[in-house]
Amino acid sequence: MKKQKIIAIYGKGGIGKSSTASNMAAACAEIGYKVMIIGCDPKSDSSITLLGGRRIPTILDLLREGLDVREEDVVFEGYAGVKCVEAGGPEPGIGCAGRGIIVAVQKLKSISSDLLKEQDLIIYDVPGDIVCGGFVAPIRKGFVNEAYVLTSGEYMPMYAANNICKGFSKIGMPLSGVICNSRNASREEELVSKFAEEIGSKLMAFIPKSQTVQDCERDGFSVMEKAPDSDIAEVYRKLGKAIMENEERVLPKPLDDERLRELTR
Amino acid sequence: MAEKEISIIHPRPSSIVAALYTLRDLDVDVAILHGPPGCSFKHARLLEEDGIHVVTTGLDENGFVFGGHDKLVALINKSIELFNPRLIGVVGTCASMIIGEEMHEAVLEANPDIPVIEVEVHAGYHNNTKGVLFALESALDAGIIDRKEFERQEHLLKKATEVEKRAGAASKEYLAPSRGDVKYTVAKRIFELLQEGKRGLVIMNAKKETGYMFADITLAVNEAAKALGKEANIVNMANVDDSLGLPRVRQHAENIMKGFKEHGVEIREIIGGMDEYPIAGELVSELIKEKYPDYDFAVITGVPHALPMECLRGMELISVTNGPRQVLPLKEMGHEHVVVEIDLHPKTLGVSKIVNSELGDTLREIIKENL
Repeated sequence: MKKQKIIAIYGKGGIGKSSTASNMAAACAEIGYKVMIIGCDPKSDSSITLLGGRRIPTILDLLREGLDVREEDVVFEGYAGVKCVEAGGPEPGIGCAGRGIIVAVQKLKSISSDLLKEQDLIIYDVPGDIVCGGFVAPIRKGFVNEAYVLTSGEYMPMYAANNICKGFSKIGMPLSGVICNSRNASREEELVSKFAEEIGSKLMAFIPKSQTVQDCERDGFSVMEKAPDSDIAEVYRKLGKAIMENEERVLPKPLDDERLRELTR
Repeated sequence: MAEKEISIIHPRPSSIVAALYTLRDLDVDVAILHGPPGCSFKHARLLEEDGIHVVTTGLDENGFVFGGHDKLVALINKSIELFNPRLIGVVGTCASMIIGEEMHEAVLEANPDIPVIEVEVHAGYHNNTKGVLFALESALDAGIIDRKEFERQEHLLKKATEVEKRAGAASKEYLAPSRGDVKYTVAKRIFELLQEGKRGLVIMNAKKETGYMFADITLAVNEAAKALGKEANIVNMANVDDSLGLPRVRQHAENIMKGFKEHGVEIREIIGGMDEYPIAGELVSELIKEKYPDYDFAVITGVPHALPMECLRGMELISVTNGPRQVLPLKEMGHEHVVVEIDLHPKTLGVSKIVNSELGDTLREIIKENL
């Protein structure tokens, strides 16, 4: 039986999880892996750049309409054959998005179990901070076997990353690595690398801030599709490869507030 | 001083249900539960027997995720169309409150031309009286009750919570339910005491509609005394003041008093209104101290644990409750005999006359056997 990677990328809201996830998905698919991306954000925008800017119907949209949800209604093939799924969710300020993730993920598992099993890499793109139980459901329910934390070298994103590690250590979820998505903060790579080391993990990749990513997203594409020869595309390829080969899993030891402040000073 | 809440592990009355019963006492025609279809089912069903309509928005998984605003608006409108109510209540549940539903917005959107009592409640409160309080606060806001009645009720609720913590179902971390003593044995003991010429107090301290059945025990003890020619040896007390409480509660007092009169039973001491069971103990204590200090036994029904033991010392105590978890605390307080009328509540909803109790009927059989 082949070893399947089911990963989730956590990090502060707006730090670039979806961009990283979709570019990495595309990079892995390009070299022949079977890849699926499952967007768990109620905004349903995780896979949009793999689909040429097109929005797809979400699992919860269909469930809400009382329809019998089938695989072909919610799984769409995007760039390089990446399978794209969006959980969907309520409008901001209404209902319960956390419960939505639980329901959608369970539904997907019940209608697409074969397809899920076929994948080499499944990426759960989970929204920002873990505000309630639903947001860790992919982990808690045992769907995810590798968790990554994405952060920049700025204080608040690192604070959030550290907090997420607290959550992981509480629920006994090992961490497989830290990814730095640069926002041009000073000594960024060094800081995040040190942070990763101190919590017992390692830095998987340093993604420099790049206008190319923005430009491609604006057009509704991933870097891999729109700017395959760019430097940044190469960074995502390396990251994809590193993740596919990564076997490290450690229970993170979150830093206390004081140490975190000291580190980022 | 804030006292530490003990962690109670037996299931206890729910604040949502308490809010529903309060809406019933406030004479709403329809109570709308905003939550999952099965929430509070058993009591919702019982309340229908008591003449109010209970309906639910029946929130499902979709409702949890996307909210149930539209369903609530539609159900308010549907309820008005179906039942033509004069007053309705909307009650929250755990699910709708956790996802932050704004029931008031739904009421505004439905815009009915009758008053609506909105109760934002879930079942996660240590004391279920919270549900009553929230319902009364909303009733006050909606102009259904006045400030004076609200404050009176608030005081009674505080006292009721104290009683439950001191000697009721909230007094211990775990209380096993019990069916209490065998009714035949206890009925026989009452008969013996009367036969021996002992002097006894028959005290009904009942909570609202439960009095319809507890009153039957007063009737049966009086029948036994009469049959034995010992009527002069017993004194009846009951909390049937019909000038106190919400209209429905006053009506219960009036109905029960009428029942006593029809059976020729004299209530010597009226010890409060039918919602005053948590505070009636004070008056009972004074009365016993002044007038009946040397009585031999007491039959206490309803909420016997609300009566302080100091005034009952020296008496043989027979208490009747409808709470299976009340048996152990009563025994520990020193009540020799504790009887549970297990089906009392369902049988006292939707009635306006005294209904037979098992202990009363058992005692009546013993009268027949012996005379």
